[in-house]
Amino acid sequence: MKLDFNFILRNLPTFLEGAVVTLELSALAILCSLVWGLVVVTARTAPSRALALAATGYIELVRNTPVLVQMLFIYFGSAVLGAPLSGFAAGLLAMTLQNGGYMAEIYRAGIEAVSQRQVEAGMALGMRRHEVMSIVVLPQAIRKVVPPFTNQAIVMIKDTSLVSSISVAEMTFHAKLLTDRTAAAYEVFLTLAALYLAINAIVSAALRLLERRVAIPT
Amino acid sequence: MVAVRGVSKWFGAHQVLKDVSLDVAAGEVVAVIGPSGSGKTTLLRCVNLLEDFQQGEIRVDGEAVGYAGAGAARRRLPERVIARTRSQVGMVFQSFNLFPHMTVLKNVMVAPVRVKKMPEAEARASAVRLLERVGLADKLDAYPARLSGGQQQRVAIARALAMQPKVILLDEITSALDPELVGEVLAVIRQLARDGMTMMIVTHEMQFAREVAQKVVFMDGGAMIEQGPPRALFADPRTERLQTFLKRFREGYQL
Amino acid sequence: MLNVLLANLPLLLKGAVVTLYLSAASAALAAVIGVAVALLQLYGDPVTRAATHVYLYVMRGVPLLVLLFAMYYMLPYTGIDVGATAGGIIVIALYFGAFMAEVFRAAILSVPRGQWDAARALGMYGRLLMLIVVVPQALRIAGPPFVNTCIMLVKGTSLVSIVGLWEVTMAGRQIVERTLAPFQVFGGVAAVYFVICYCLSRYGRWLEKRVSYVH
Ligand SMILES: Nc1ncnc2c1ncn2[C@@H]1O[C@H](COP(=O)(O)OP(=O)(O)OP(=O)(O)O)[C@@H](O)[C@H]1O
Ligand SMILES: [Mg+2]
Repeated sequence: MKLDFNFILRNLPTFLEGAVVTLELSALAILCSLVWGLVVVTARTAPSRALALAATGYIELVRNTPVLVQMLFIYFGSAVLGAPLSGFAAGLLAMTLQNGGYMAEIYRAGIEAVSQRQVEAGMALGMRRHEVMSIVVLPQAIRKVVPPFTNQAIVMIKDTSLVSSISVAEMTFHAKLLTDRTAAAYEVFLTLAALYLAINAIVSAALRLLERRVAIPT
Repeated sequence: MVAVRGVSKWFGAHQVLKDVSLDVAAGEVVAVIGPSGSGKTTLLRCVNLLEDFQQGEIRVDGEAVGYAGAGAARRRLPERVIARTRSQVGMVFQSFNLFPHMTVLKNVMVAPVRVKKMPEAEARASAVRLLERVGLADKLDAYPARLSGGQQQRVAIARALAMQPKVILLDEITSALDPELVGEVLAVIRQLARDGMTMMIVTHEMQFAREVAQKVVFMDGGAMIEQGPPRALFADPRTERLQTFLKRFREGYQL
Repeated sequence: MLNVLLANLPLLLKGAVVTLYLSAASAALAAVIGVAVALLQLYGDPVTRAATHVYLYVMRGVPLLVLLFAMYYMLPYTGIDVGATAGGIIVIALYFGAFMAEVFRAAILSVPRGQWDAARALGMYGRLLMLIVVVPQALRIAGPPFVNTCIMLVKGTSLVSIVGLWEVTMAGRQIVERTLAPFQVFGGVAAVYFVICYCLSRYGRWLEKRVSYVH
């Protein structure tokens, strides 16, 4: 097997064009899920039983169905409704819906990891409820949340490749097009894999750094 | 039966055993005492090579444990050989370490059957006999999680005995027990001593050490400081370190 | 409204059966790969350890879809012909095998030290020790996270529809092309996955409760 490096170099701009879309979608999806996850976890832990039940049902639903099917549902569904979403928007929406469910569970585990005794200790010091939350609970919860969040972020970056099937011109889409046109499968897929590895390496290194920043010194 | 000669061990740069030598004759009970961190556990674990040691030699019934050759030619024996030595040395741990996924009977049978290749029926009969001997004939089919600490420890003793070991190593086997359960375990050990079992016992129960041991070994800071018959050693400690150690005990307990 | 779904139910169910088959086959293979890689990673020589490291790194960093594409585009050049379905199963198994390796590795490492000590003290070593003492306990610990990985795997099988394999998602796409009823049809497809995955997740939770015996 001989790799044609010139081919790779020649087509690098195409890859990078796709990479920009991949990164855009990843960043947006991660941000939106972080926020949507907060909404879901608020409902999930709400005093209202109906609300909590609805949130639980929602979480079970999005976590137990493939994000690809959710994308197809939204993409083709919106077209039938007469308000067609772009592939990008449908992908973003599906990823947000699914990963918001995952994030909600990650948040919940974080909050539950802070023991009731910590809350009582805060109260005993004369803090008010919101102060206990912001001074005692959240800083500890964040430390529990960062590692699983890192995992989820990587999962999401990889999942952005799925929107290639609803005609979003991100990295995988371009790669597939290029292979169909040139039959240089080795070059194309090695480059593609390398790019994903690089993106994930950078993102996880950055999040590892954050992990270390927030870690409790031992 | 056990001969420890000039054994030294390091954890990294930290020396935890310093040129330790001692003998355990066949049928003898030797108690090892000493303050926390003095290396008692480590010494015991060296005798069946659960820990490597870097210098010196240990023999069980004349056979070298773990290493062959000396000096530059010293090399670790193959795992198969070490395992065979271990199968002749019983060990009972502070935290019982029963296999939680096996019944009491299976815990006692598994090593004779799988390691010694003893026929199943024979192993079962011997396991039942041993469990009767430690007073657990009615718990054969129970899982360890259902037993009290004292019962678990007695199963662990039966499990060690099932291999018909030449010597048994016991590491603070009552330390993890509620006070009211200590007696039932010590009673089993007393009986074993009377039956002539060779034992090395690490213990903080001075009264018990004095009663069952023919020899007491005092360790401090990784070194063997003093050894002798319990009566002499407790009544007339020669070194200052042992005096201090015993004094602390007398203040704490009634000795 | 639901007429479309009812009319096409046989086809969807046929797709569901294929999805189940793909899932079961690749999960079984992934489990084998996972156990093997975990053991190599923990007890292999430095070279195999390095190799498993590379494998895990690639599987964690490259999307499953890209691996599937690579398989279908690159394999023809190598002259290896395993067939599309087997190819899909192998790629899925390799991908999720990496996650299972992590599950099993963590499980083996969480068997308490004292269990190893006790087994060694009884004269066990090597394969016997692993087989009798470590693996049975590790499997119980690994149960719940293993089931979770299986849920990911079942969902992951939907990706083979993108590379042209026929299973329930592909069946859905075909029906939608004919009927233009995406809500009903993809709703039905989602329901198929939901039933499989929800049952698995209940099973996982049940295992979790049962597993927690005291050491
Ligand atoms: N795995 C290890 N790594 C590094 N140091 C160790 C290890 N195990 C024991 N040590 C050190 O070796 C020394 C002796 O420990 P050991 O457990 O043998 O003492 P001990 O006499 O049994 O104490 P105790 O009465 O508390 O059980 C201690 O200083 C301990 O910190
Ligand atoms: Mg100790």
